Amino acid sequence: MTLAETLLPLAVLVPLGVGALLLGFAHWLTPRVADVASVTVAGFVAVLCAWLAREATGGAIVHWFGGWSPAVSGRPDVVLGIAFSADVASAAIAAFCGLLFAAAFMFAWSYFDEVNSHFHVLMLLFLAAMVGFCLTRDLFDLFVWFELMSIAAYALTAYPLGPSALDGAFNFTIVNSVASFMMLAGVGLLYARSGSLDYLLIGRTVGHAGADPVVLGGFCLIAVALLTKGACVPFHFWLADAHSVAPSPVSVIFSGVMVSVALFGLSKLVVLVFGGNPDILDLVRGALIWIGAATAVIGALTAWTQRHLKRLLAFSTIAHLGIMLTGVATAGGIGQAGLLLYLVGHGLVKGSLFMVAGMLLALRGSADEIDLYGKAKRLWPVGVTMALAGLLLGGLPVGLLHGGSHLLDRAVERSPLVHAAQVLATALTGAAVLRAALRIFAGISGAPGPERNGITEREHEKNVRPVWLMLTPAALLVLLVLMPSSVGERLARLGAGALVGRPAVAAVEPAGMLAQLLPVTLTLVILAGALLRRRPVRRAGRALVTAERLPFGGLGVLHSGLVGDYVAWAVLGLAGLSVASAWL
Amino acid sequence: MNVLPWIVAAWLFGIGLYGIVTSRNYVHLIGCLSVCQSATYVLLLGIGFVWGSKPPVFYDHPPGTPAVDPILHALVLTDIVVGAAVTALLLAIALQVQKRRGTIDPRRLRPMRDPE
Amino acid sequence: MSERGRLAMLLAALLLLAPVAWQVALALPAFGFPTSAYGQTINALVPHMRRVSNMVAAVNFDVRGFDTIGEELMLLAATTGATVLLRGSRGENIGDRAARLPGRHLAGRADGTVLVCRAAAILLMLFGVYVVLHGTVTPGGGFQGGVIVASSLLLVYLGEGYPAWRRIARAPVLALVEGLGAFAFVVAAAVPLAWGRPALSNILPLGTWKDLFSGGTMVVVNAAVGFAVAGSFGLILGEFMEETRGPEDEDMPDEEHR
Repeated sequence: MTLAETLLPLAVLVPLGVGALLLGFAHWLTPRVADVASVTVAGFVAVLCAWLAREATGGAIVHWFGGWSPAVSGRPDVVLGIAFSADVASAAIAAFCGLLFAAAFMFAWSYFDEVNSHFHVLMLLFLAAMVGFCLTRDLFDLFVWFELMSIAAYALTAYPLGPSALDGAFNFTIVNSVASFMMLAGVGLLYARSGSLDYLLIGRTVGHAGADPVVLGGFCLIAVALLTKGACVPFHFWLADAHSVAPSPVSVIFSGVMVSVALFGLSKLVVLVFGGNPDILDLVRGALIWIGAATAVIGALTAWTQRHLKRLLAFSTIAHLGIMLTGVATAGGIGQAGLLLYLVGHGLVKGSLFMVAGMLLALRGSADEIDLYGKAKRLWPVGVTMALAGLLLGGLPVGLLHGGSHLLDRAVERSPLVHAAQVLATALTGAAVLRAALRIFAGISGAPGPERNGITEREHEKNVRPVWLMLTPAALLVLLVLMPSSVGERLARLGAGALVGRPAVAAVEPAGMLAQLLPVTLTLVILAGALLRRRPVRRAGRALVTAERLPFGGLGVLHSGLVGDYVAWAVLGLAGLSVASAWL
Repeated sequence: MNVLPWIVAAWLFGIGLYGIVTSRNYVHLIGCLSVCQSATYVLLLGIGFVWGSKPPVFYDHPPGTPAVDPILHALVLTDIVVGAAVTALLLAIALQVQKRRGTIDPRRLRPMRDPE
Repeated sequence: MSERGRLAMLLAALLLLAPVAWQVALALPAFGFPTSAYGQTINALVPHMRRVSNMVAAVNFDVRGFDTIGEELMLLAATTGATVLLRGSRGENIGDRAARLPGRHLAGRADGTVLVCRAAAILLMLFGVYVVLHGTVTPGGGFQGGVIVASSLLLVYLGEGYPAWRRIARAPVLALVEGLGAFAFVVAAAVPLAWGRPALSNILPLGTWKDLFSGGTMVVVNAAVGFAVAGSFGLILGEFMEETRGPEDEDMPDEEHR
């Protein structure tokens, strides 16, 4: 076995082992030990996976657990064991998880002292599960890591024990548990048809299956489960409730990697397992792309109407997940490359923004942009970070996020409606963040618009860390996004090709100046509209405001907070996808 | 008879979902989630069953006797552990909600929507 | 949304799903005649390759042992989560005073109960250990036996009363048992890597057919899982039972001071 093959399982085993040790000795350890151990382990995982990604440029690194390689069974159609397969893309995403966890641990330093390192245990298990999710080549193993990720997330969300945190965690748990049962049912159906749980063997059977209802049913169930975790319409309702009440270091991870890795997992399955079946590909290209566009627009519009900063950021995450889903829906090629780059860029920016929200909660005791009007002028470095992040979200033509966005634009260029949805979503979310930043840090604002009726809550977080300790990881993340996009683009195209064992996807020509500047111009126009808004005095103005309240208010009513509603929407979404599969 | 287990699994899932959507009590909701989970057990175990065969434990009968599929038994065992874990967590949340809000009616417990 | 609207939406969705489910049910292999070769290959090969007779345990701890690591740590995560949630502002103190409901009579414990529970708890714990140890040979294993051992802890509670029980089954000790069990499993997976073998390889001698210590590494992993599950469930039981304690002083703070 080569060195890379030997070290591959350590990316998962080390966080698991350290987490188990921290739990066993929790009663006797000081909190500093847990802080140091977690940052070290996260850094180790990031470095190891980055090295594995480099080693994998010649071909994926495969590790068969227990030595149960395909040769042991003596039959070509039976694979007995579980494999980890680290290709460039999967290892790079796993390394990104490690990086973001290290930043979150730094941000959470000394925040969770009272609970005997239980927070660190849960986060380390969460990290191990995400790395396992990215690297595995076995469908049931995918389910196991998916579940571990979910359980750690449920516990971390309920952590603050405030009333909203408990309700948010409850909704999160119920909706995602229903989704995971659907995933298990899908795995069972695929096993029944193909007799195997390995991606490549199932892929072979699925390729020959044609329009088999079992295979289609299995795909729909697994897709709905991953779309629920990836917060796409109509399965997205849980995300705003969960992200806005979880502690800030945890929200960094949720929005930064957890939800996007679910979509990465979906894209991997679409390409490796279901890629050989033309009926499923039709469904993916026909249905998922419209789900993505709808998610982008709905998420962005709802984000615009929020005043609680964490809720705003949660909805903007939903919008960006919609954009990423359009990349998944192109099933390989340039869309896949765009997805990879966008995932990293968005994760860095969103992580940094949640850290800013956490800083405001700790230092100013609120996350409501209207309550905080002008109150943070002394914290101008934080404001600069937030404004820069907002501009990047809104499409500033530099950096990794823009590179990913450009690739995704190219991927959907045959559907101008979808492209328009992408641009609109980018602009609205960027403008929302900038509006909040200007209000809070500069005291510049127009009259409050639809966000005045947004839901909000009084809360605060403990203030035990110096500002520089909290600001450093946030600033570092934003600086990382500003890396030149050409480097990122080359790696993303290499990764997208490596996922299917082919050479790098062909390059695309750079966008014209107009196309590059369109999103950020639109962002600034929307922002200007918000800043120039005045309270309506005349009747026409008042009628306009009342008319505006309807759609935005309607969106607010839909996000009711009732778990029964969320589950009903999810089942309706499953029904819709199944009917579409029968029809397309 | 050939399709009865699959129908039972689908029915259990539907009933569980109905319970979750119309529930007025957190503990009842958690029970309905368990019903949804039982649907997956029935589906998985039904997939592996072989008529006229014995359990895949070759203590009383020698290896080579027809036995059911052990893979699905292992999957269901994992599923049971998952279910126990999620139920424990949900019940802990329900307990804390009862202590802090005095109610476990989902209709009255909506995150961030009640005046503090 | 109103309750009627929600229910109507659900029923519409289920009505749309019904024909799809019917199609899938018809297309699945007939019940009792599966087409999968995976399980039957395991039944044919593994008894001789690993000298164990319990195929389910072989799949769980050897062939697909890596899944079981994830599952084991899932239990750990849930226990940690439940612990954090239930301890909350209460902290780690053990309440000695039972919560009193007005009008409810707290009966004492009969001598017969104490005697029976002491005997039964020990017998049950032995039975649980028996089920764990024979996991590779007869139906049973770490998960099942671990839960039985944890149940025996409940019998100790019935016999000794809550304060004495918490001092016998201490939370830090249970957490240590749980953590070390999971850690042993991870070590069993990582040690073969040092010899250049794949992770979780079976490197111990395999023993003889139908013997107690057959299966090599499976024995170690089985025991580790047994410890971890017993510790986890014991901790969960302790934390939930702590909720039946009354407050030390009558006023409880109603706002979370974090």
